[in-house]
Amino acid sequence: MSDLRDLQLQLADAMLAGGTPLSGALRGDAKADASNRLAIYQHGYRIRLREALATEFPGLALLAGRRFARLLDDYVAAHPSTHFNIRWHGDGLAGFLMRTAPWRDRPELAEMAQLDWAISTAFDAADQATVSAADLAGLAPDAWAALRLHPLPHARLLRCTSNVDAFRRAADRGEPRPALRRWRRARHLLVWRPALDVRYRQVTVAELPALLGALNGDSFAQLCERLAQRHGVAALPRMAALLAQWLDERLIGRLTLPGATTM
Amino acid sequence: MSTSRQLPYLGFGLGLRVDHYETLIDEPGNVQWLEIVSENYLVPGGRPLRWLEGFRERFPLVMHGVSMSIGGTDPLDMAYLDQLAALARHVEPAWISDHLCWTGVQGVNLHDLMPLPYTEEALQHVVDRVRRVQDRLGRRILLENVSSYISFAQSQLTEWEFLAAVAERADCLILLDINNVHVSAHNHGFAALDYLDGLPASRVQQFHLAGHERGGELLIDTHDAPVVDAVWDLYVEAVRRYGRVSTMIERDDHIPPLAELLAELEHARSLADALLQEAA
Repeated sequence: MSDLRDLQLQLADAMLAGGTPLSGALRGDAKADASNRLAIYQHGYRIRLREALATEFPGLALLAGRRFARLLDDYVAAHPSTHFNIRWHGDGLAGFLMRTAPWRDRPELAEMAQLDWAISTAFDAADQATVSAADLAGLAPDAWAALRLHPLPHARLLRCTSNVDAFRRAADRGEPRPALRRWRRARHLLVWRPALDVRYRQVTVAELPALLGALNGDSFAQLCERLAQRHGVAALPRMAALLAQWLDERLIGRLTLPGATTM
Repeated sequence: MSTSRQLPYLGFGLGLRVDHYETLIDEPGNVQWLEIVSENYLVPGGRPLRWLEGFRERFPLVMHGVSMSIGGTDPLDMAYLDQLAALARHVEPAWISDHLCWTGVQGVNLHDLMPLPYTEEALQHVVDRVRRVQDRLGRRILLENVSSYISFAQSQLTEWEFLAAVAERADCLILLDINNVHVSAHNHGFAALDYLDGLPASRVQQFHLAGHERGGELLIDTHDAPVVDAVWDLYVEAVRRYGRVSTMIERDDHIPPLAELLAELEHARSLADALLQEAA
């Protein structure tokens, strides 16, 4: 191993482990000894990651309160950053909170991290035009059954058992911390970016099967079948109403018909 | 070997920060060019790229990165370089810069500008990587001197000897951060003017001016405060040595209203103008 690599490995180890400096490799002087000089980098690493993650996870910061800094330090200690963009270190935070004690005992933390991260990644996801009602106007009546409605590729459906969306909203508006509410039955949140602004909302129980189907690439007929299991003959008008809502919300990014090009 | 700057003189500019997007695009004042942090725009789409498009239409831009890890001993990140090249094709920057440092090892990113030991081994290593980066990007790059708090027992060269040798041997250019020279000179006890005297003038393409804070007996490069008098004095000495060099104010934290940075920029311009008119 080259001297340079050996030095870098030792220095990185000392920074990540927060340990003492490499013996003899660093110079100190009357202004500061080697240990105090290295401590500037050790401190900077932790603070920089804290600040970067706090920017990406404002809802989690509000929900975790005073424990937020410790939560981030635990995550950073367990998972050193590997991406050149510091922001992308946030990618594993929700999974860490889901798996790791004591944070896993409060599932709302992982749910909040999922919502924050979905919003963060939607913010600068690839631009894509959305489908409008006019795009569907010329569709032949017998083509509807096979039609597939593809939500925007960055759209995320999140399952949650607490009102994490209220925390994110409060964080965005600079409002006080809301009361935490836990639900016996899980609910779902949809995150997407119709133009430049990211949106999120709760998904109704009636909408969920159709939305799951659309995300799964089901045909329009299959979406109606999913709704029919709950609504019987009312499935078609309900699906029509949902389609109108999705188009109005600019959620659908693409239409496809088997054997035809993208519409 | 090329020895001249060859790249254009852009005048007086600013580091582009989100806080100033709206003001700057409507009322650019005396800002002649902008430096973008490349990583902020290595994204698929959305608002960052929309803003960038607007600035690209109104200002000459340069790209400044923090992730090249030119002194690192992990393999060069070719995917990163290709993203950088793709962004450059879109932005058409006057130049691309990064730092004379390493940022991680064994796949772990320390998200800091770590100093190098100034040895012949490190010099040859950096020169080789600069050449490969320049080949990949199809252009010469600028390397910036970093502020540092540690130094290595094994160093055989001064920092400026090392930087000058990298620039000469790899045929790259220098982004001289005047504040970083001041901070490192204080922290390591060398003379800042020796640093300026030791660099090849024809390779100094850009200046950074910034603020710092005191941390005990050391100075910490925080970019969160106005430029101090000692750095203004050093800037005058740099202009005296290198002539008209594209200059910008860099503020990364505690971002003040744009007017405050415009005033600093005007001060830089008046100092340079006074000196260069006097010399003419």
